[in-house]
Amino acid sequence: MLESECAFFDRERSVGFLTIGTCLGLSEALRNSEEKYRMLVEGVENYSIFMLDLQGLVVSWNAGAERLKGYTAGQIVGHDFRCFFLPEDIKRGKPGEWLRIAAVAGRHQEQVLRVRKDGSRFLANVTLTALRDGSGKLQGFSEISQDLTESTESDAKYRGLLEAAPDAMVVVNHRGQIVLLNVQAENQFGYRRDELVGQMIGNIVPEGFAERLVADALRSTEDALAQQIGTGIELSGRRKDGSTFPIELMLSPLGTGDNILVTVAIRDITRRKEAEAVLLQKVQELSRSNEELGQFAYMASHDLQEPLRMVASYTQLLSRRYKGKLDADADEFIAFAVDGANRMQQLIRDLLAYSRVRTEGENLNDTSSEGALNLALQNLRVATEETGAVVTHDALPVVLADETQLVQLFQNLVGNGIKYHGAGIPRVHVSAARDGHGKWLFSVKDNGIGIEPRYFEKIFGVFQRLHKREEFPGNGIGLAICKKIVERHGGDIRVASVLGQGSTFSFALADSGSSS
Amino acid sequence: MPLLVLLVEDNAGDVRLTREAFREANPAIQLHVACDGVEAMAFLRCEGSHVNAPYPDLILLDLNLPKMDGREVLLHIKEDPVLKRIPTVILTSSEAEADILRSYDLHANCYLCKPVQLDKFESLVRSINDFWLTKAKLPRTRQGA
Repeated sequence: MLESECAFFDRERSVGFLTIGTCLGLSEALRNSEEKYRMLVEGVENYSIFMLDLQGLVVSWNAGAERLKGYTAGQIVGHDFRCFFLPEDIKRGKPGEWLRIAAVAGRHQEQVLRVRKDGSRFLANVTLTALRDGSGKLQGFSEISQDLTESTESDAKYRGLLEAAPDAMVVVNHRGQIVLLNVQAENQFGYRRDELVGQMIGNIVPEGFAERLVADALRSTEDALAQQIGTGIELSGRRKDGSTFPIELMLSPLGTGDNILVTVAIRDITRRKEAEAVLLQKVQELSRSNEELGQFAYMASHDLQEPLRMVASYTQLLSRRYKGKLDADADEFIAFAVDGANRMQQLIRDLLAYSRVRTEGENLNDTSSEGALNLALQNLRVATEETGAVVTHDALPVVLADETQLVQLFQNLVGNGIKYHGAGIPRVHVSAARDGHGKWLFSVKDNGIGIEPRYFEKIFGVFQRLHKREEFPGNGIGLAICKKIVERHGGDIRVASVLGQGSTFSFALADSGSSS
Repeated sequence: MPLLVLLVEDNAGDVRLTREAFREANPAIQLHVACDGVEAMAFLRCEGSHVNAPYPDLILLDLNLPKMDGREVLLHIKEDPVLKRIPTVILTSSEAEADILRSYDLHANCYLCKPVQLDKFESLVRSINDFWLTKAKLPRTRQGA
């Protein structure tokens, strides 16, 4: 009597045992038990259970096997079980390999694609078990398979979702074979469903899929998938006609190890990539245009300086050498000429400074705003001493900024606070508070002459002034530069003021990247 | 022998200003002017009409010159075994970082930007006179190589 314990696993991983006794040409008693066994096996409809001889020829068949594989017993008994394998697996010698493994290890189990009588393919969980007699001699094999594409209720829901998904959905096994797909996948790739089942994922996603990494034998499926799980990967998809299109993949695994199934969502991103390309081109054009403008402003100012230097220098020489030697009118004429030339020079320097905000702007880095303010105060030392001004500040944070420009910003704002002072001692206070949106709101508050509300916008214009040159010096570019700097840092600058009492200028800077 | 300064400058206005400023700072200085790079090299190499030209004690070199520009002149000077001894000071309106670096790479002795205002320019010339022509020890190249 041949006996063997054969284990099979159902979908929920609970284990059942089936003890098989089989006998070839023995006594009545034995034939009785054989009869019982045969009925048991016959009765099992959800599982395909059959026997193979040592060469792998089918010697028995059950109703489940007929359901699963489509052959009647009469059609298949005596045939080689290799016909259940995929052609490529046959070529690789899989059937023989299985028999050898089962003979040595006792059993071989695999989740694999099987082929029905009509040529269609389905995914099955297959267990091949070696059957030995009492003395341990190998007599044959039993195969138990379960069709994994069979619908249970949860399966039906899953398949329903897959089918209804707006993206192409494809389910891939641990070897990279497509075992399931939806109608969108058929549409996007131009294949019929049965043409795609069993194909390697590499046929429709030529490069980049995790199975490549597995094939390289450099890492396990888990590791390879862990890299790509959940992230959108931009790759190329290939249609049946050979044409390619840009896609984004999202992978989510089910199960582990050899039983892993990966659901792949494939999104056609052609339109998105086109939009990105247009955007990139526009950005490049804008960047180039800005660059040219910056260069133009710089060169214009720079080239204007030289003839201006001539005018300014020679009128000054004239003034110096001939003062008092010509009449009073001449002195006055020369004085106006010299003054005009000097102002022109200052205007050009200011214009250069304004254009440099963009052309010489550095990347934003973590910058100590307190350090920047101290540098600005050093630069304002003369003005501070001359007016007796008192400048104070709260503890100031580390922010994302271009340090040179931040110094310039503080210098202009604090400088204005000192310059436009009223009767008493000029006092300027700098503080910062979190705005609750990841930014710091800075305030520069002075007790100066203040600004009328109707001028709140005007003062930020280029070369806009509210006072005569004799009252307060300057060209009206300081606040325009401040505005440009703040805008370059992603914020805007505001003023609040009461005429005769003082003004508060405020602007927001992004918090440093490294702070909590 | 009076000190000789070679001024290489194409702008006539700047030439006159420099002359005036040197006259104020040190009337004993002789100023020779070359208005482009080619003329500057001819003078330094005693070529053509400059066959008897003495070596200058100091060269003031503008960068933007017609024909051969100042950067090339600087290169030739510092490549020449005798000329390279002569202190060569760049005197230009360019503030470009690239120009500054390149000049020092080519072994300029000093880089100065022409100030925009007259009084500052005069002060600069006084500084040049004070440092290079009074305090600094100059190599004796008068007798030639």
